Formats: sequence, C-alpha cells, structure tokens
Amino acid sequence: MRKATFLSRLARVAAAGTIAAVGLTMSQLAVAAPSASASTGVGWIRLAHLSPNTPAVDVYLYSFGNSNAMIVLRHVSYGTVSPFEQVAAGDYTVAMRAAGAAASTKPVLSTAVDIHSGHAYTVAGVGPASGLRLQVIPDRLTTPPGKSLVRVIQASMDQDVVTVTAGSAALATNLKFASVTSYVAVNPGTWTVHVTGSSEKATASVSLTAGSLHTLVILDEHGKLAIDDLMDAEGSKVDPAGAPQTGFGGTAPRPGAALLPWAAAGLAGLFFAAGGLLLVTRRRRPALHAR
Amino acid sequence: MPADSPIEQRPNRDGRHASPIRLIRRPWAVAAVLVGVLIVCGAAAGLARASHTGRPAVNPTGAPSLVPIPAGKVAAVPPAQPETVPRPTGLVIPAIGVKTRLIKLGVTSAGTLQVPASTSVAGWFTGSPRPGEPGSAVIAGHIDSYIGPGIFFRLRDLRPGNLVYVQRGRGSLAVFKVTAVRTYLKSKFPTADIYGPVPNAQLRLITCGGTFDPATGHYLSNVIAFAVLQP
Repeated sequence: MRKATFLSRLARVAAAGTIAAVGLTMSQLAVAAPSASASTGVGWIRLAHLSPNTPAVDVYLYSFGNSNAMIVLRHVSYGTVSPFEQVAAGDYTVAMRAAGAAASTKPVLSTAVDIHSGHAYTVAGVGPASGLRLQVIPDRLTTPPGKSLVRVIQASMDQDVVTVTAGSAALATNLKFASVTSYVAVNPGTWTVHVTGSSEKATASVSLTAGSLHTLVILDEHGKLAIDDLMDAEGSKVDPAGAPQTGFGGTAPRPGAALLPWAAAGLAGLFFAAGGLLLVTRRRRPALHAR
Repeated sequence: MPADSPIEQRPNRDGRHASPIRLIRRPWAVAAVLVGVLIVCGAAAGLARASHTGRPAVNPTGAPSLVPIPAGKVAAVPPAQPETVPRPTGLVIPAIGVKTRLIKLGVTSAGTLQVPASTSVAGWFTGSPRPGEPGSAVIAGHIDSYIGPGIFFRLRDLRPGNLVYVQRGRGSLAVFKVTAVRTYLKSKFPTADIYGPVPNAQLRLITCGGTFDPATGHYLSNVIAFAVLQP
C-alpha cells in the first residue's frame, strides 16, 4: 500500500517535471517565432480641405468596392484637417461631394488610396476650385534620433509663393501654391516660424519635441496669411536603450536544473524506505541458524 | 501455521512470546522506512514547488469583476491640434484585476527605461506622450517580485478587445482598447514599435515574461500589450 503511494507520487513528480520541461520548450518556441510589428495590418488616414476658394464639402472614405462609406466628414470647410483614423491596410477610395449632397450622388472628386500596413497618409483637396484635385500625401513615421521633422504645405492662394523658416532652419523656399515640401530635420525646441509671401508675412511659435513630426499648413485666413501646425505623429522624446527589466522571478517556473537535486533526494529516500521495508518484512532466518 | 513451528514457539529474550511485538522487532528498520518516506514526501513537495507553472491558484489581484470601471468624462478623439492633455494618475484594467496609481518613470543613467521601485505599482514613462495624446504612451510594471506576483502579473492574459482605463488629472479618463498582446525576446525588443512615432493616440503596457534566467535574475522576454484610444 505504502509502496503504491510512493510510486504514484514519484510518477506524479516525474509527470510534473516532464510537463514543466515541455511547457518551457513551448514558451521558448513561441518566443522564437518571428514577431510581427505592432502596426501589422493597420494604417492611418486623415482628410483635409486645402482649396481656398472651394466651398465646404462632405468627404467620404470607402473601403474599395464597398458602396457604404466607412467614414463621412460633413461640411468640411477650407483649412479643416481631420484627426488620423486607424484603418485596416488595403485599398480605399476618398470621395468629395458638395456639402449636403446625397451620398448616392456622383462625387465631385474621388481618388484611390492604397494604405500600406504601418503607413500614414494625408488626402487633401488642393488647388483652386477651378482645378481642384485630391492629392494623396504620404506621411513619415520615423525621425532621426533626437530630432523633429517638419514640412510645409502651401495652401495660400493669395500668396503665389512662400518662404518658411523655423529659427535658422529653412523649411521652404519660394514654395508654390498647392505644393508640399519634404520633411526637414529640426532640433527640438520652441521655434518662431516665419512665413514670407509675395505680399504678406506671418509668424507663429511652434513647439517641436524630439521624435515628433509636424506639417505646417500655410493658409489664407480672412485675407491674412496664417500658419496651422499639424501633428503628423509623435514618439517618445528619447528611446530608452534595451528592454526593461520588470520582474524578479518570484513567480517564474524554475528551470529544469533545479529539479535534479529534489529528484535525487526523492530517489535516495525511496531506496532508504524500500531497504527498511525489506528488512522489516524479511524472515529472521539467519537468527534461526545461529540458534 | 503448524503449532510446532519453531518460530511461533520460540520465546523472546525476555521470555515472552513475540507475536504482538513482531512488527517492531527491528525498530531501526522501521525508522529507516519512516525516514525514507519523509525524505520522499519532502522531495516530492520540493519538486512540485520547483516545477510549478508560476500561477498561484488564488487570483492575487482580486477577481476582475471586483475592479470597478472608473467614472469620469471620456476624452474625445484628440483634435488634429491637441490641447494639453492632463498627466496620467491611475490605471484600471478590469479584465485582469489591475487597479493602481501611476508613478513617473524616466530614463536611468545607463539609458534604460526606469522601472518602478515597487512591484505593486505601474509607472508612466514621462518621455512618452501622455495617454490620449497622439503617439504611444508607455506604461511599465513588474510581473513579479522575489516572492510573488507584481502589478502586471496577468498582463499576458489580456485579450484583444479588453478595455484599459487611464485616469488623468482634472478627473478625465482615457479609454483604450487592446489590439494585441505579444511576447518579444529582450534581445529583439521592438524599440520602434514602442517608442517610435505614431499618428494616433495609443498605449503600450510593458512587463516581463517568458523564461526566467536565475543566473542574471532577469526574464528573457517582455510581454507587451498594444492598445488604441477608443473614440
């Protein structure tokens, strides 16, 4: 009876050891598998109206081939930029209709947007009303370490060209209406942005943190030149090195090596007990002979 | 047994018949058995403890349903030009029974992310955007102490769709929805996915996981939950 208990206990112990070992291997396998990026399968899109003499519009975002709009922005007027929407990567259609026009009517403008996984896009109605077009502007999502990236969209029709500086950094030089610069790396800080057009000037204070990306939109605002500071993306100001150490092991499964001494002790005890049991139950034949 | 059996009839040294005390005629052998049994039991207990999966039967942080969903005005999707978002003060994750205040975490002199000194609180990395601002807010907490579970012990149990509430100053609340929970070897820590720029308001919850290396006293992997701000 006792022996059976020992055996079953030993069996259980052995089973526990095996399960632990298999579990350990499995978890290592799971970790070893290539880990997909966090933004796998999603992208971002924002919609903007940057045509000064085009009246307000309704902007529709359709998943390609689906006639039901995913997003409808109503009564979007000049200078309006939506927040980013996170969407599944894939093909989309952006359509513009006159504000209040039925969704079933033919759009004034439409364009296809291929949203790649992990990428962001600004889709803007640009140009004069007579030559309105929808432009897909890819947005960047990385910065050089310790820097901020800034670019300029020239959406002022009153000024043919603008020159834009932030501190001593030149962001745009003689930038034509309805065009966009590439990103320029700027040291973080609060900078005074100067915009000089053909007949107007404007200044604005812009705070740029490391790891952030901005788009400065130059607008006509009630006949005056204006600067709109858009946040394209923001990251941490510094990227801490390596991986955080957030555990002390108090709940960790012990590695296999720690099982060995216990198993050895168990076996020794088993021999001890078995030996003793044998001696207890053995007949005292040697004693008989001695007599 | 025959009546004339020499064993049965043989008197003991003290002259009495042996049958009632036969079992203890070799007390040292009996003792050996008992000691052996004790050793085996001890070893079995040791083995069981050494090989346990690290999940105590009792939920250390309370049943999920016991954590109330915090009240407060829910922030709207941040406008393209974000106003100043208040600093995060608390974290509630009903699905895994987490309710903690948030301390501030910086960067150590070695350049690594500072981690909370206490294993029972989580902390917000002040170099990351505030929760609810565009960008990935980073919150770290311990999986365990030297003796038991830490605040993020059950982070690995989060599932996509679970809600994460970040309490902020002025009574405001940011609600995030978990999109993924992944385990990364520390040698392959996804720095860009954690600290890199993103266009919308997101959250990263970080703890340790995977295999524990007793030689270094550290886990070999990080468990990271990814979440996005709820509109």
